[in-house]
Amino acid sequence: MSTQEQQFEKTANAFIESLERYFNKLTKSPVETYAPFVKSPTDLILKECTGMIGIAGIKKGFIYISGDLAMFEEVIKTYVGYQHPQKNDMLDMAGELSNVVAGNVREVYGDDFLISVPVVFEGKPSNLHFPDDIPIYVVPMKWKTFEAYMVIGIQ
Amino acid sequence: MKLLIVDDSSMMRMTIEEHLQDYDLEIVGTAGNGKEALQMVIDLKPDVVTLDITMPEMDGLECLDEIMKINPDLKVMVITALSDKLTGLKALKKGAREYLYKPVTHEELKEGFDLLLDRK
Repeated sequence: MSTQEQQFEKTANAFIESLERYFNKLTKSPVETYAPFVKSPTDLILKECTGMIGIAGIKKGFIYISGDLAMFEEVIKTYVGYQHPQKNDMLDMAGELSNVVAGNVREVYGDDFLISVPVVFEGKPSNLHFPDDIPIYVVPMKWKTFEAYMVIGIQ
Repeated sequence: MKLLIVDDSSMMRMTIEEHLQDYDLEIVGTAGNGKEALQMVIDLKPDVVTLDITMPEMDGLECLDEIMKINPDLKVMVITALSDKLTGLKALKKGAREYLYKPVTHEELKEGFDLLLDRK
């Protein structure tokens, strides 16, 4: 395995563990993740609702978690206990989920792993562009009956 | 006692609010960024603040610096996703009484409030 591949594996594992911790700890229902695969920046997978975090400092790039609104609705019902979330609440939860998953990676990389505030959006906005000079990996995930994706683009 | 909840996530603010029935706390305001929080500390004079760190306009650590200048006796509990030890230590050094790392369970929130309000 090359040094770049080893570095990516360390980073991917940090994000996957962070994602697993979130769902295991807060919902008591485990999340399953599957083998990451490479995607080009022009062909990324986006579902109904996405929370994205920009990354700077010791690592540069982004991470997003994209799922259907129903998944974030279920997270709210399970964790927050709010039984009638509206779409804005689900978008908020997508942002908060991505924030926590990214923020927890600081446990591995320290305080020079800088994260942005979350950006949330529905579908695929026409002005959305991803950098084409960093490797991008898609991590498929499944929580309860919901399929979603965590996408990691990091130098 | 008067409580100000500061977090840019409305769902986190709602989660924190859910835990207040057992405490003699009245929510006097909620804020979504540090700048808003600072103004609310001046206007509403809370006794207790829960404070996120990663927020737009002004982050929680900068906000904490400023609110400690206004009221060094304010009881602040930092609740953050930034789970490196240094961030927690920075918050304590700046005057926070407690800190919790997200993802935070309901039990951990209760434990945090118990410690913050000297109920343990």
